[in-house]
Amino acid sequence: MTNLASEQECIQLSLPLNAAYVSAARLTASSVANRMGFGTDEIEDIKAAVSEACIFIIKKLPALQKSNFLIQFHMRKNVLSINIQTQGALANDSDEMSLVMIKALMDRLDIENDKDNTTISMAKSHKTELF
Amino acid sequence: MDYQMDAVFDEESKCWSVSISGEVDIFNSADMKKSLTALINEKNTDMVLDCKFLDYIDSTALGALVGVLKNVRSYGGSIHLRNVKPSLSKLFKITNLDKVFIMEGDVND
Repeated sequence: MTNLASEQECIQLSLPLNAAYVSAARLTASSVANRMGFGTDEIEDIKAAVSEACIFIIKKLPALQKSNFLIQFHMRKNVLSINIQTQGALANDSDEMSLVMIKALMDRLDIENDKDNTTISMAKSHKTELF
Repeated sequence: MDYQMDAVFDEESKCWSVSISGEVDIFNSADMKKSLTALINEKNTDMVLDCKFLDYIDSTALGALVGVLKNVRSYGGSIHLRNVKPSLSKLFKITNLDKVFIMEGDVND
């Protein structure tokens, strides 16, 4: 059994816009990162980044408490890409503490907005595979 | 996932000694803030938070701690954070809050 996904695999999680379920996203992130062979420190970074992305969405969309948002974990060799998608356009406030933390914890962060949807995309590479 | 808090008033050092364990996140950070604020309102002193068994905090928990610190500072006090794990200490550094709280005795994971 290998720790790293040999081909792209994806896990999707649909969660209510409810703070009670952020821990479920965190646990899933931890499990996926561990499965891919990330180190302990990197797993903690990924857990925190996923949690902050959920917080960003939940805090920005209080009016849509009944809807769900989607988290996709894309596993490809040494890269874990995570997309978090929700209905509704969110202001991209780069000074937001959650975004500051995600930028520091992950290798990449992008936020795409249109009038209907917002997608937060982030990725982290398995450092031991880079060199 | 939840957190536990154990608070005693240290008569010798005249400050609150609080041990926090578990995970503090967006779901329960307001509750933590309420509990810590109640202590400060009861006795207006410094506060020592032992984080040895604290496994996780998020930005809302950091914000809650800043809110409690504002209250403590209004009485001329300060908050000391002891035994913060490296993975959490990193979050304080990223947000520059390591310069706001008095960080003491980081521990290794």
